[in-house]
Amino acid sequence: MTPRLLRQRLAFAAIGAALLAALPAAAQERTIKIYGFGAKSGVVRIFGLNSEAAMKAAAEQINKAGGVTLGDGTKARLVVDYLDDRCNAEEGINALRRIASQNDAIVAVGPTCSNVAEPVFGILQKKVGDASDSGLQFPLYTDVAAKGGLASISQWAFRNVPSEAAMYKSLFEWIKATRPDVKTIWGGVEKDFAHSNATYNVMKANAEKAGFEVKGTSEWLLADTTFSTQVREMRRGEADLVAISAHPFTTCGVLKEMQRQGVKPKMLVGLTSSSSMETLQGCAAQAEGVLIPTSFAPVTPEAKMAAEAVQAQGANMDLHNAAAWENIFTLKEIIEKQKIMGKPETVQADRQKMREALAGLKQTQGLLGPVGRGDDREAIKPFLFVQAKGGQWTVAHKPAP
Amino acid sequence: MSLLDLQDLVQSVADGVMFGATYALIGIGFTLIFGVMHKINLSYAAASVGAAYLSLLVVSLVPTPLVYLAAALAGGVLGALVYVVCFRFLPLDKPLATLMSTVGMLLLLEEAIVHLTAGMPQNYPAAFSGANIDIGPFMIRGDLLFVFALGCTAMVGLKLLLERTRLGLATRAVAQQAVAARLCGMGVDRTNASTFVIAGLLGGTAGAMTGAAIGVLSPLLTLPLTVKGLVVTVIGGLGSIPGAIVAGLIVGGVENLFQFWRGVAERDIYVMLMLFAFLVFRPGGLFKPPAGRD
Repeated sequence: MTPRLLRQRLAFAAIGAALLAALPAAAQERTIKIYGFGAKSGVVRIFGLNSEAAMKAAAEQINKAGGVTLGDGTKARLVVDYLDDRCNAEEGINALRRIASQNDAIVAVGPTCSNVAEPVFGILQKKVGDASDSGLQFPLYTDVAAKGGLASISQWAFRNVPSEAAMYKSLFEWIKATRPDVKTIWGGVEKDFAHSNATYNVMKANAEKAGFEVKGTSEWLLADTTFSTQVREMRRGEADLVAISAHPFTTCGVLKEMQRQGVKPKMLVGLTSSSSMETLQGCAAQAEGVLIPTSFAPVTPEAKMAAEAVQAQGANMDLHNAAAWENIFTLKEIIEKQKIMGKPETVQADRQKMREALAGLKQTQGLLGPVGRGDDREAIKPFLFVQAKGGQWTVAHKPAP
Repeated sequence: MSLLDLQDLVQSVADGVMFGATYALIGIGFTLIFGVMHKINLSYAAASVGAAYLSLLVVSLVPTPLVYLAAALAGGVLGALVYVVCFRFLPLDKPLATLMSTVGMLLLLEEAIVHLTAGMPQNYPAAFSGANIDIGPFMIRGDLLFVFALGCTAMVGLKLLLERTRLGLATRAVAQQAVAARLCGMGVDRTNASTFVIAGLLGGTAGAMTGAAIGVLSPLLTLPLTVKGLVVTVIGGLGSIPGAIVAGLIVGGVENLFQFWRGVAERDIYVMLMLFAFLVFRPGGLFKPPAGRD
């Protein structure tokens, strides 16, 4: 071997050794994973897509600002892993069990559907420290599933979901105060969807409390294709206000049938979940004027920035995934304050710390302002009323906190 | 029952009967494949809705009638695709294999729609929007009358096709005895594919008319339309095209009658009871096709 060849080989060997030495350093970059789960397929796929996009956008913001500081002082990148439960209870339970079996899972955000949240919360340990309860000991911080009061099922369940009872109470009181010509209400409800059905009861109770007369209710199913009988009942009711508690597909079907039959109430009120682009995409013209309470609108600098970041991820921000965004920032703070280690050997301790910190929260920072926390582990979120105008959601009123 | 109640009842049933025209269109396609070709295609309604979705690609470019035409054409393409994927290479002497392949296709088409649209409902252009016919206190929707007329035209067209054309003769021959038809020089695959395309054209039209009647398209439509199409096919009599039309109108009317009378929680129970009653007491359906060779 000539000296020149030897030198060349030594040089290559040195470069190779340097590269090999560098590899573990790169691999040692710490990450901390936040799991999410919700519907990413099936007809409510949009909920999961939007939540995942919001979680990833929030994690990206945090990583750009330097990441999250772990208990041992090292910086880590936040990584989001989102699982699909198809809005199906069984698959939701499977998703949570899979997440809980990971040695890097310290908390999960989800699910998106109330019919999944209820049984999923049911497999968690009900009371912390109860040795006789073999339920999962894993903290869950729900962003979307909207049916009220679900967090009471388990002390490991926490929710950052607006209180629909508070929102509709405020909405009907505001209508009562500002529209004295509106006295009677006719309701419409998608009877076979847990959230729609539960929220309609909330709407009705609060409308009656505010002094309105609820003259009747029309009912239909999530996959119905014809609404003529139901809308004829509405027409006969001649109510001043029609309140529809249904998701966008049937909301649009009913609104179009109302237009056909010439049903023109003085006011229209919709379900919180319908204050999204789906309704406007399906029936912007017929939805004109519909009033909906929501816990998100891009009205603060933070909310505007968040909406833009989520849009960059190819999704839209609404009241549901705004909560997912907020959850990621809250979890980041908890990880830092509780000195969470994020190591396989500390995973059980990290989960305990996470639960205790979530249980101890009295207030978090939301996109519309401070978010309170009740003793029932449910959020007390600021909200406002939006109205469909010219194919856009515009702010109609922001109640005083 | 007050006069107003009676008026509402009559109007509800009339609305249901008219909306049943959309079920009839789906039922005709089902009966063409089930009854005439003796094949089971459970993805038919999903392909019909898929075709209506595909027509949305041209919705901003062409007038509304051409959107419906695009849906029909897309239905024809999807019909050919369903034939190739679910029937062409599967053993036809094992009907369960093709049954399962079309169930798979139904789910695949539904999920494809969900993935492409994120499940969001899509506005669909209405036919003759606001063109209603008033008869005293009652109203008949012009667009649904159009769908009904379209169903009748399809019925006449398919009758003529099946009975007066070489393709119709070939379709019946292949359905009855594929080997004999091949020995007589008929292209079995070509005949089957052509019939699937024709059924697909009709399905695309049915999907478009259903979307136009509701005003919105959603992947939620695929399963109820499949169920309604099957119910209509059984009640009308497997293979009876006029039966599918009459059964479609009956199912629509009965659905609304019980919606009015018993409410949404019980409505579908009565439709299913009607189906069972037909299966038990009149298994051949309303218009039992003549027995033996057709």
